Amino acid sequence: MEYLGLLNYALFMAIFIGIYALLALGLNIQWGFAGLFNAGIAGFFAVGAYTSAILTTEHADGRIGGFDMPFFVGWIGAMIAAALVAWPIGKICLRFRSDYLAIASIGIAEIIRLVVKSEAVLTNGARGISGIPRPAAEFPSMAQETAYLASQAAYLAIVVVVLVAAYLLVERQFNAPWGRMMRAIRDNEGAAKAMGKDVEFRRLQAFIFGSALMGLGGALFAHFNRSITPEAIDPMVATFLVWIMLILGGSGNNRGAILGAAVVWIIWSMSEIATDRLPTEYAIQAKYIRLFLIGLMLQLVLRFRPEGLLPEPLRGDRRAPKSGADHT
Amino acid sequence: MDFLELINFYVIPGIVLGSIYALGAVGITLVFAILRYAHLAHGDLATLGAFIALAVVTGLGVSPLVALPIAIIATAAVAVGIDKVFYEHLRERPKIVTVMASLGIALMIRAVVQVVWGVDTETYSRGIVRPENYFGLRIRDREILTVIAMIALVGGLQLFLTRSKWGKAMRAMSDNPNLALLSGIDNKKVVMLTWVIVGGLCAASGVFLGLNTELKSMMGWQMLLPMFAAAILGGVGRIEGAVLGGLVVGIAEELSVLVIPSEYKAAMAFAILLFMLLVRPTGLLKGKVL
Amino acid sequence: MTALLSMDRITGGYGDADILQDVSMHVDENEIVVIVGPNGAGKSTAMKSVFGLLTIRGGRMLFDGDDITGWAPNRIVQRGICYVPQVDNIFREMSIHENLEMGGFLKKGDLSAAYDRVYTLFPDLKERRKTLAGALSGGQRQMVAMGRALMLDPKLLLLDEPTAGLSPRYMEQIFQISRDVRDTGVAILLVEQHAKQALAFADRGYVLAAGKNRHEGSGADLLADREVAEMFLGG
Repeated sequence: MEYLGLLNYALFMAIFIGIYALLALGLNIQWGFAGLFNAGIAGFFAVGAYTSAILTTEHADGRIGGFDMPFFVGWIGAMIAAALVAWPIGKICLRFRSDYLAIASIGIAEIIRLVVKSEAVLTNGARGISGIPRPAAEFPSMAQETAYLASQAAYLAIVVVVLVAAYLLVERQFNAPWGRMMRAIRDNEGAAKAMGKDVEFRRLQAFIFGSALMGLGGALFAHFNRSITPEAIDPMVATFLVWIMLILGGSGNNRGAILGAAVVWIIWSMSEIATDRLPTEYAIQAKYIRLFLIGLMLQLVLRFRPEGLLPEPLRGDRRAPKSGADHT
Repeated sequence: MDFLELINFYVIPGIVLGSIYALGAVGITLVFAILRYAHLAHGDLATLGAFIALAVVTGLGVSPLVALPIAIIATAAVAVGIDKVFYEHLRERPKIVTVMASLGIALMIRAVVQVVWGVDTETYSRGIVRPENYFGLRIRDREILTVIAMIALVGGLQLFLTRSKWGKAMRAMSDNPNLALLSGIDNKKVVMLTWVIVGGLCAASGVFLGLNTELKSMMGWQMLLPMFAAAILGGVGRIEGAVLGGLVVGIAEELSVLVIPSEYKAAMAFAILLFMLLVRPTGLLKGKVL
Repeated sequence: MTALLSMDRITGGYGDADILQDVSMHVDENEIVVIVGPNGAGKSTAMKSVFGLLTIRGGRMLFDGDDITGWAPNRIVQRGICYVPQVDNIFREMSIHENLEMGGFLKKGDLSAAYDRVYTLFPDLKERRKTLAGALSGGQRQMVAMGRALMLDPKLLLLDEPTAGLSPRYMEQIFQISRDVRDTGVAILLVEQHAKQALAFADRGYVLAAGKNRHEGSGADLLADREVAEMFLGG
């Protein structure tokens, strides 16, 4: 039935937008709030996805777990695990300019990718982990088609609840006095240095908290898909999509992050539908042309609308020229 | 395992790999020191250089060595073009914005390589090259070539930086940008010159990686971490440091398989990077810290 | 006689804040002029305004017959004004000789006459021309900084607190060299924290306070002025 199919597709899209919005919120805490450059989003996502998978799946031979725990334990575990990975990286790199964090986060994402691929005892290697329980998936009293629709709708509701909770929490931190202070010094490394240890600690908090949200996003994805494999996400593409979502939406603005996730994901999915109609000999090339265009889109946004669709409220002028080259 | 085996199977490949890293790390250290940001498209620029050389090798039927200068010039031109079109207008903004732009550029360059050359593995020449035996040391010609080319290119660069007027201007800009501007040094020319050199070095590292292993669209991206580790290990802004760093990282990666599973070879560079940031962020030869 | 440099009622500052208000000064040829004043008086700002380093919102800047108001620093350098910043005024990782070479970067053709002139003024530097500038003592660094600025044969040299942090012996030496430089036909405008010593050595002086002209006169007159003395010479 055409109508049901469309509705299902819309729900599917909305769930993905919700998950990406969570990742973009996480990045907004790091970049929009504290000016921290995390280029390893996919790594934290994977940590969350696998952690929750290990915690919540039924016991399996040949790998650690599963521990058959309730899904919310898995999700909390995902956040904790992502935070634990973020902590040492942040601890070491946040003393320096964010360039170093960018490199180190690329590194940690790469290491996580290697671990996922090689440590079969944790991740079941290339086959991945399947049978991840999905909350509110069973509606036995309904007909098959409507039951599927209901389970999608129910999962969307869960994603929305999580997203709204995260949004409210982050928004409160943004508007707290020290949130304003962080944003004020974000663009001024000199001032940040002068504030010393306290700022370093706050940045570490922002980095860890943002990474935890990314881990949670990974868990939501794994439970939605019911499985997670190393191939489930292309690390570079996923990381990059989240970046463009935040920049286009408006870094520093939580609503912008969510709006950006919706806009970019819709463009990305539509372009996929368009390229899928191409004959196969062009289809593969078209995939890479899409990647090129998404890269180009970032350049255009950075150049022509750096403040994004929804600019940060009350932002200091981030474009203020600094005298000469900035040291530190 | 005897000593000769250690040399033949780990140290020599490590030096070769290290020379390839060194070529890239020198470029990274120049961008870090003169333009003052981490250039994340560096590895993919190397990929592009390697594939341009492949086009020349297959198109004209020449050896990779003949293709090398062509690839160097073409990649240098691409690097200058990228700077003009995408980075130049970000210069007044916080440097980290350019870092972000360069991540996008990395994706764009890779997409171009994937569209034009596909995603299959390629090589410059087919067949297995057996190493020659020099008093028990087993070395392939291409390995000797790689090391010599690295020394020649970096040596040439070093001469340029210490002897020529514009080379000194580049050092001045790295040393004290405000004073360089007060002295009337044209920043735009220095930036362009930097990209010419950096693009050329990228191409060289890509071509030699392709010559010693194979060409893949991800080859450069996978070199990014070791190249950054090498630049930071040597000390940002230090040419000789980048060479030293490259060699250390290359040898460490090859030796690492003696103690950790070979899948984690790539983790060595990451460990070195974090270790240096932790204990000595200025690097072995006391460079800058951004 | 027209002055080499004349600042006419300059108002301006960094960004939106006007630090200078209606400041007027002039420097004649072969003259050493010092700007003194309490902290925050706008001394360095006044000097930077000459070199095009701040936004000028009112007034005119004339140099050697040209209106240079609003010129970019590199154009001003070529016109014959060189500036020595107070800090970070050398290339630390370059040799003394290379520092001078960078100072003469804009000069076309042979630099040997310029090197000779600088090395004659600073014989100490000639002996150590291969030494990295960052390895030198504070006083010697200041000489390198001045030497670098002199490579383009400027008509006017701007020195921003050249004796800050130097021992009295070096301070005396820097003043002596400044006189030598003046005697080769270069006018000098400098900002000084050590007001007493500076006024004693300069030909003329200006006292700034809160971004405005307060007093002007010959060094000796200002030293003798009771109000100036009370203001900041320590009574």
